[in-house]
Amino acid sequence: MTVQISRESLIGKSLTRVDALEKVTGRAVYGDDIKMTGLLYGKILRSPKAHAKIKRIDVSKALALEGVKAVVTGKDAPFRGGEALRDQPFLAIDKVRFVGEPVAAVAAVDERIAEEAIKLIEVEYEDLPAVFDVMDALKPDAPIIHEELHTYEHIPIVQPVPGTNICAKFEFERGDLEKGFAEADVVIEDTFTFAPSHHGQIEPFMAIAQVDYNGRITVWVPNDAPSRLRKDLSDAMKIPQDRIRVISPPYMGGGFGGKGGLKVEMVCIALAMKTECRPVKIRLTREETFEATLTRHGAVCWVKMGAKKDGRIVACHSKLYYNTGAYAEKGPTVTLHGCESGVGPYDIPNIKVEGYCVYTNRPVAGALRGYGLPQSSWAHESLVDMLAHKLGLDPLEIRLKNALVEGSINPIRGDELFSVGLKECLEKAAKAIDWYKKRPPNRGVGIACEYKATKTPSGSTAFVRIEQDGSVEVVTSSVEIGQGVRTILTQIVAEELGASPNMIKVTVPDTDYTPFDASTTASRTTFHMGNAVREAARDAKKQLLELASKLYGISPERLDTWDGKVFPKEGGKEMSFREVITSHYRAGLSILGRGSYYPNIPGTLFSAHSVFYMYAAHAVEIEVDPETGVITILKYAAAHDVGRAINPKACEGQIEGGVLQGIGSTLYEEILFDDKGVMLNPNFRDYKMPTSMDMPKVIPIIVEAPHKEGPFGAKGIGEITLVPVSPAIANALFNAIGVRIKDLPLTAEKVYFAIKKQKGGN
Amino acid sequence: MKQRIKLFVNGEAYEVYTEPNRTLLDVLREDLELTGTKRGCDSGECGACTVLLNGKPVNSCLILAPEVDGQSVVTIEGISKPNLPLHPVQEAFIEKWAIQCGFCTPGMVISAKALLDRNPEPSEEEIKLALAGNLCRCTGYVKIVEAVKAAAEKMKEGRS
Repeated sequence: MTVQISRESLIGKSLTRVDALEKVTGRAVYGDDIKMTGLLYGKILRSPKAHAKIKRIDVSKALALEGVKAVVTGKDAPFRGGEALRDQPFLAIDKVRFVGEPVAAVAAVDERIAEEAIKLIEVEYEDLPAVFDVMDALKPDAPIIHEELHTYEHIPIVQPVPGTNICAKFEFERGDLEKGFAEADVVIEDTFTFAPSHHGQIEPFMAIAQVDYNGRITVWVPNDAPSRLRKDLSDAMKIPQDRIRVISPPYMGGGFGGKGGLKVEMVCIALAMKTECRPVKIRLTREETFEATLTRHGAVCWVKMGAKKDGRIVACHSKLYYNTGAYAEKGPTVTLHGCESGVGPYDIPNIKVEGYCVYTNRPVAGALRGYGLPQSSWAHESLVDMLAHKLGLDPLEIRLKNALVEGSINPIRGDELFSVGLKECLEKAAKAIDWYKKRPPNRGVGIACEYKATKTPSGSTAFVRIEQDGSVEVVTSSVEIGQGVRTILTQIVAEELGASPNMIKVTVPDTDYTPFDASTTASRTTFHMGNAVREAARDAKKQLLELASKLYGISPERLDTWDGKVFPKEGGKEMSFREVITSHYRAGLSILGRGSYYPNIPGTLFSAHSVFYMYAAHAVEIEVDPETGVITILKYAAAHDVGRAINPKACEGQIEGGVLQGIGSTLYEEILFDDKGVMLNPNFRDYKMPTSMDMPKVIPIIVEAPHKEGPFGAKGIGEITLVPVSPAIANALFNAIGVRIKDLPLTAEKVYFAIKKQKGGN
Repeated sequence: MKQRIKLFVNGEAYEVYTEPNRTLLDVLREDLELTGTKRGCDSGECGACTVLLNGKPVNSCLILAPEVDGQSVVTIEGISKPNLPLHPVQEAFIEKWAIQCGFCTPGMVISAKALLDRNPEPSEEEIKLALAGNLCRCTGYVKIVEAVKAAAEKMKEGRS
């Protein structure tokens, strides 16, 4: 006799967010909500100069102020940090390299005293010539920003060029470029520029640091990679990793790549080392968050493409110049990833991509949703459209003709591709906006597509614990940034373990208790941590069924689990997880399942071809007002191959959010500076981000080309959602009014003057 | 010099001694430890600190503490209580996936509630306008606007 067990899979179901109740009631705790006994408050004195020698610092007046407990300068914390290249001092040492760089800091009993104290610090500077433009910084006579570049430690794939401002350079070459261009019927080239933009997380940056009596450091910080932060601090301070503990606050108010690496942590720790075990909290103002944390790289991208008359692209050469600002941060690997998508998601036999990560006296640039691709994609996806125009081909059709498909060879790394949903993305996005429909004047459509790698190889470990009451805890260092990771991991564990989602909780990372995870970045978490928790759930289930088999008197293979219960497959009495554990271990015990995922790909961090690729195509219909230059987005379709959507609503949320963030940096967002390197718009009033009034009709489309190694076939999504936005809109602008703009953002003013110029005016 | 102010928050009376240049947001978060109201910009641009002052939505970072002496404030903690039903706006935010990082959510919920209190059947444009002072960087607003529409429906059903 067989009993029918209702077993509706949880994969592909839009479960509500496990953290929604706490968030919607205002009870979710973020970093700045945390108070502690003995807490001191820190404030940072920042450089007003873009490039200068520090001649003298006098902190005596600040130290004398009542309520001040510690004052630090660079000499008190002579460490240099950086994930890829260790060039960034905790506070400036001997010289400053950007406006906003920490020069000194104060810890006091309250924030107002700290604020008052930093004003009492005297600093004497000697100006040095500064360089802000990425191409200027490459000139032979450019001021050198890091004279000691040759002394910095770096990861193997980063190769700085001492004596220049080149912090890292990358080159990929396949096929025979010259032969390719010689065979082409049409060759075009152009240069595209990309303006720096900001993450605009609504939660400003903060950190709390404490150094205990043994000298062990604890940091509470909304950082997207607690394990990596511990390593970065250990590498910088030359102390073992176990001397550092990183604790995530329960929630993080948005990251987008900005809240990673070393930011407020550095100054906070420097202060905490001098406060006799008292914790120090630093919370940045909105202005500091803009000026002194991170930006997206401004960039100059040159691309040359050659194609046959039928539209087949036979050669592509790209040179990408990323303005990484004063310190490397993640700039080198941002550049690397930009190169990895440097010719687009096309089957091109002859390619060369050169990427340069270049120091300037701008604020530090690093990871921001897309990781180097918004820049490279802006260039080649604009150029593909120009190529189509020149050949008299439809922009959709030229892409379909060249698109990567199942079994294609990755044009950059040469690996064979599988789980490739690109053509379906292109077709569905185009169809959603009725691509071929005839449109009235000033209306147009544009399309752009891309593929994106994730950082490879990188590892994730997790535990799944079944407690004596039958409840389940997923022990992981993945960070809930807002993307919904706790919900996704809950679904994966519930499915694999046969538990119900409401029995499961997911931990908040704490490096003392939650195991290693490379980072919650690069859209890697569903895939990597998803695999780790799935394996841990499988292990926990195996142990549970072994216990149950003794109780049932049948082999574990004849038992299964669902909805928090164990049952014989052939039918019979069900037992809850709790009953199984407490029947066997009457005085109580936990079951601990272990899981790890590390892709079977050789190489050091970031050096290998990607373990999976995300594919996307965006199609947009716009209307342009020729009198004002204003672009109105009428319909925006974004199709994404995610492998398998564990939670479709979560995927839609990533698409809708990424698209609007991309519309911001396409139409109006741009960080502006004066000629001395001072940021002119470090606030939400002058740095315009989209509001609810700017929300267009977005059509999210989920495409599923399952990945053989992904959990239930899943890959990732978050980062690529923003990437095709700029070229899609610029291509639609050309389609609407025949104007091609090659520098972002596409402000109304720029569009207006371009229209005027086209008409032959001034 | 510190001033004594009395205010009513979520129906409870409080007495606070504060410097007159501190804001309502400072008082709520630091003195009363009602941290559901978020600090995003301290200059009235992001809306994360939105609360109801005498029933109207305001940026609490733009209101000086002495201004609220004798006034009534509702924060996100006053919208629902543990073990009691949620406000329909909150229910709809959960159901429609209108939340990601959650940092803007308390302010969004307050602005949405204030809208539905004064306009029970808003159009999509009216919803967008009412939320225009609340920045969200995660969701692209799509599901937030859907949630406010759904909340209006829920409240309508509740009335009939």
